[in-house]
Amino acid sequence: MNLAFKKTTCRVLVVSLFALSLQTAHAGLIGADQAAAGTTSPERAMLLSTLDRTDVVAQLQAAGVDPLAARERVKSMSDQEVHAMAQDMQAAPAGGVSTWGWVAIVLVAALVWYYAIRK
Amino acid sequence: MQVQATALRQARRLLLAAAVFLLAGCSTLIPQTVGLRTGWPAGVPQQVELAQVPFFPQDEYQCGPAALATAMKFAGAAVQPQALVEEVWLPARQGSLQLEMLAAPRRHGFVSLRLAPTYSDLLREVAAGHPVVVLQDVGMMLPQWHYAVVNGFDYGTGTIYLRSGLNPRQEMPFSYFERTWLAGKYWAMVVTAPDDIPVTATESRWLEALLGLGRSGEHQAAVRGYRAALQRWPESLPAAVGLANHLHASGALEDAAGVLRSALQQYPDSVVLMNNLAQTLSDQGRHADALFVIRKAEDPRNPFAGEVRATRQLIEQRMRGQM
Repeated sequence: MNLAFKKTTCRVLVVSLFALSLQTAHAGLIGADQAAAGTTSPERAMLLSTLDRTDVVAQLQAAGVDPLAARERVKSMSDQEVHAMAQDMQAAPAGGVSTWGWVAIVLVAALVWYYAIRK
Repeated sequence: MQVQATALRQARRLLLAAAVFLLAGCSTLIPQTVGLRTGWPAGVPQQVELAQVPFFPQDEYQCGPAALATAMKFAGAAVQPQALVEEVWLPARQGSLQLEMLAAPRRHGFVSLRLAPTYSDLLREVAAGHPVVVLQDVGMMLPQWHYAVVNGFDYGTGTIYLRSGLNPRQEMPFSYFERTWLAGKYWAMVVTAPDDIPVTATESRWLEALLGLGRSGEHQAAVRGYRAALQRWPESLPAAVGLANHLHASGALEDAAGVLRSALQQYPDSVVLMNNLAQTLSDQGRHADALFVIRKAEDPRNPFAGEVRATRQLIEQRMRGQM
């Protein structure tokens, strides 16, 4: 295998590794603009669900949903659903990297190591 | 000769072992399809196809809105996939989350129910005339999530019929369908009108589904849903409370009080019923009756003691205001 080919392969692999890792890194930002509204009861569960709702609205916004629509979308979920959503919105299947994605990442990393480091 | 016979016996044994392994592998790869072979769900016909289920060919990633529109339109909603894109589509993920799929029909006054993760529940719902929205992983190597609608099946040929993507009548073997469906942990949901309780619904699941409907402010729809629940599970205390609350919210105070009174005959010690009845009576202006009811609910050990106290204070305040 000649050197130029090796170099090209290496570059391609490095770039693809970056692309894949960027796909997995998602920002789970919590929006400060969401004021907790309508908590008349001081019960802990109520507070928690409000926090979850704010969190999910913020996550929806981060995923590109219009702020008003995001609030509407969360409104029709039960507390339990909001809680589940807050927990695993990033991981829930909608078209993200899952098991096979990780296999691909490991594979690419192994190839990079093989070509670039282990001469 | 002796050697040959031994070799043959060994080969046979090996073949048998291979066959056992292969079959064992099969049953772990497609456990539910294998289960169906011996245990077809009782009362489900062997062939069903809901031909009336509409079909919306979808754009590239927008199988979520398309599948949802298919199920909702069949349930009676006047809705187009394009309108649903805004409600369930997540631009950053190029797809729709399951929880949002469940939440969207409620905003239109319909109930969405997640099915138990079994083939038999899927088949029973389709046989009962409810097309089922399923989540599949249709990717070859990397996962590619896809929503489709099951609208029929044929046991004889082992085929599932789907409205999927650009294909109005996709035929898929039970086994292959299970592989694609298993990846999403057998996720499936149905959309129904509030008074049409799915056959596989349990009391708690249906009431949970109605909670979401009530939250979205669809009081009339919630009233229909709770009425249906009370018809099917007449003993249900939460259904009575839910029905009364939504009657109250839609302004039918007299009906709400009636529901609470008849529920109190079944559950005379329920503090929740007493508290809500007192509140309803007071809202009708019958403060003396309300005070009489709320006094019976006073018990400091009850978890709702705080609410009861607040209701009583409100009633007394209103009475003072009248004087």
